[in-house]
Formats: sequence, structure tokens, C-alpha cells
Amino acid sequence: MRAKLAVYWTGSCGGCDVSFLELGPGLLDVLSQVEIVFWPALVDAKRQDLERLPPRSIDITLVNGVLRTEENAEMVALLREKSRFLGAYGACAHLGGVPALANQGNGILEAVFGPGFRPAPPFPEAPEDTPPDLLPEALPLDEVVPVDFVVPGCPPPAGLIARFFEAALSGGLQPGQVFAEEKALCEECPRVREERRISRVLRPHEVLPDPEKCLLDQGMVCLGPVTRGGCEASCPKAGMPCTGCLGPTPKAGDPALALLSALASLVRAGEEGEAAFPEENRILDGLVDPIGTLYKYAFAKYGRPLRRLARRREEVRA
Amino acid sequence: MSEFEPKVVAFLCRWCASAGADLAGTSRLPYPPNAIPIRVNCSGRVEPQWVVEALKAGADGVLIGGCHPGDCHYVAGNYKTRRRVYLLRKVLAELGIESERVRLEWISATEGARFAQVMAEFVAALKRLGPLHGNGGAR
Repeated sequence: MRAKLAVYWTGSCGGCDVSFLELGPGLLDVLSQVEIVFWPALVDAKRQDLERLPPRSIDITLVNGVLRTEENAEMVALLREKSRFLGAYGACAHLGGVPALANQGNGILEAVFGPGFRPAPPFPEAPEDTPPDLLPEALPLDEVVPVDFVVPGCPPPAGLIARFFEAALSGGLQPGQVFAEEKALCEECPRVREERRISRVLRPHEVLPDPEKCLLDQGMVCLGPVTRGGCEASCPKAGMPCTGCLGPTPKAGDPALALLSALASLVRAGEEGEAAFPEENRILDGLVDPIGTLYKYAFAKYGRPLRRLARRREEVRA
Repeated sequence: MSEFEPKVVAFLCRWCASAGADLAGTSRLPYPPNAIPIRVNCSGRVEPQWVVEALKAGADGVLIGGCHPGDCHYVAGNYKTRRRVYLLRKVLAELGIESERVRLEWISATEGARFAQVMAEFVAALKRLGPLHGNGGAR
């Protein structure tokens, strides 16, 4: 019997839905073993169709995207009820992803429309249709429903998608499974580490990196040391620093703080000592936008608790 | 309501700052008793994650005490910590947490008076900033 599969998108760019094509001919094998019961990007099925399904009748559900609206939250709760296994697919569902960087501000509408922004008064007659309300914050999937497994990445790389389907379609899905390595990306990166000290911190557009040497050694902020392997270091191989889309290794904890710690220990302005402090600070100032760089995908999961604390204080003061 | 008493977590290095704190005690120097001291072998061992964990868990401020430049028992641990704290304070400021809540001080084993002074200054500064956590330090 074919496994019943659902794929749903919430606050998503659509890249995760496209990523399945990366399987190439392997996609045909997968499709021959599944029955698609719900997948808005591919087949016509509406919320009512989903509501009619008996509980736990979908074998595997993959959710991609961040949770941004009330409707997103309702839909994933509905999918949770109808699914035996529900997983986060891609960095947004897993960690909040890039759209969750919006949590830095005090509300997305104020940030876009300015401090004087007020919602329009409601229409006197109930409109036929209205967009769903925004959630106060952009959330990863597991903040709203229990998540059984994770296929990480932005989007998930082909090898990990294949590994996931292999496990899922042979009945080998384990609760809590993350389809990526526990070891850091550096383990599979072919670049050579040498210097272990850096005298500048650069953004990708500021340097044409040496093809062989470690990008971190060259002053690029590469999240490889704190990020799970599993992508075969595809970005570093192409001369771009890892931005951490597979999420932190279990040992790294908060990826931004872990990388910050590593980066700071590598920085040198000549001989270490009091005389070098100002120049060291100047080098460290090369890390512009530390939140966007270090928490690119994981802000909702790791940076948000402190941001929340600060926001509550701002509210108390106001 | 009683006055807000900030909670401080103090990571003190074994060779300098912690010995300095001991000296403040054995010298009977009065200083605000707001800190929970945690002795570490070197200020260079203090991970930014510990500092943030302390703030999340209820501390209003975190003090890191290390050896003066040139005095680190492990040669360069205090320099690493200085750079880490420099970046960490930037991150905290971007998140909306006052960077003054994380303080790095050089305190030698002979500077009991300096430890007492640092504690007094830090606690006063935190009182001016107010509580980090909503409950306002109500006990």
C-alpha cells in the first residue's frame, strides 16, 4: 500500500516545494510509493478536503515555511490532527528561517508602515473575505504543534531529502530524528585550515576567496564550525561561507554565540596585549549586522528569548 | 515595595579575580552582596552562551572578572574573553538589552578593595538600569 503524503507551505518562499525536483530520477521512485493526499503546490485540494479526512489518516506530512498568520497556525494544527508523522521541512519550519528575522523589530506592520501606523477601522458590513490576522511573532513549527522529525536546510539538499524518503518509506522514521549529521560541516569541507588567526572580518562581496584555504581563515564569517554537516559543504566549495541553514550541531547550542566565541578567539592585531585592543576592536567591527549574519536562520529559536525580554521591558516603560 | 536589588552572576577567574574577591572578604571590606560568584579556571573559559543563559535565567547583570593584561595564568585567556565580550555586548545591544549589563573587569589577587569597588559600582549601575526581568526583583 502506498504511503499517504501531505506537503504544506506556510510563510514560505516556495523553494522547499521546488527542492523535491533535486532528487532527479529518484523522484519517480518516491512518487511510485506515495499517494499525495494534500499538496497545494501540486494538486488541487482545499482545506475542506483536509477537514474531511479521518484523524491520523495521513502517514507523513511535511510542513515548510515559518508560521506568520493565524491561518498558518490553524492549518498546521489541522494537519497535526490528521497525520501520523509530521515533520519540519526546511530552515523556516525548523528554526524560523530568514523571515523570522522580522522578530527583531516590534511588530512587522509598524516596521513597514512607520510609527504612526494604525489598522483601518473595520468595514460597517462584514466583508466577503479578509486576510488572516498576523501572529505577534514569526514562529518555527514546533512552537505551535509537536514535531516528529526535521528535514533541515534552505532548501533541504538532495542527499538529505533522499535519506529522509528512504527512512520514511521503509517505515524507519524515528521520533526526534534530524536528517543531517551531528558533526560539524567542517568535517566534510575540503578546504584546508592553516592560519587559525584572522586580521580582518569580511563580507562575501569584499573578497575573492582563495580556492583551497578555509574561508574563516580568510576572514569570512563561515558558520561551518557550528552547523550540522549533510550538504557536503556545497556553499564553502563554491567560495561562499556557510550561513548555517542546516541548523546548529547538538554540541554548538546557540549557533550565533558559539560562532561569535570562535571568531573572537581567532582575531589578532599583531602581538596580543593592551596595545592591540583598539585595532582588535576595529577588526571585530568588520562583523556588520551580527544578528542577520550569525542568526540568519536560527533567530526565532535562539535569539528570540532575549529579544522578548527586552521587548517586555520596553512595554513596561512605555 | 522594597528597593530593587539586582541579581548578579559573577564569573571570576581562579588566579586573579576570585582571589581578589576572597581578599575583599578576609579584609572585611563591605560591598553589596548581590552577586552569585562562580569560580572558573580562566576568564577565557567563560562562554558567551553562559552569560546569556544567566541573563535568561533571571540575572540582571553578569560580571566577568579576569587577570590584568599581561597577567593571565594561561597567557592569553583574558584577551580572548575581552574580544568575546566586545562582540557579545554588540549583539545584546542589537537585541535591545543594555550592553552595560555585561561587565568585564580586570581584578588581581591583591585587589580586594578593587573587587569591592567594582561590585558597588556595578550594582549601582544595574539599579539605575532597572530590572531586566518583568517582576522587578520583587521577593
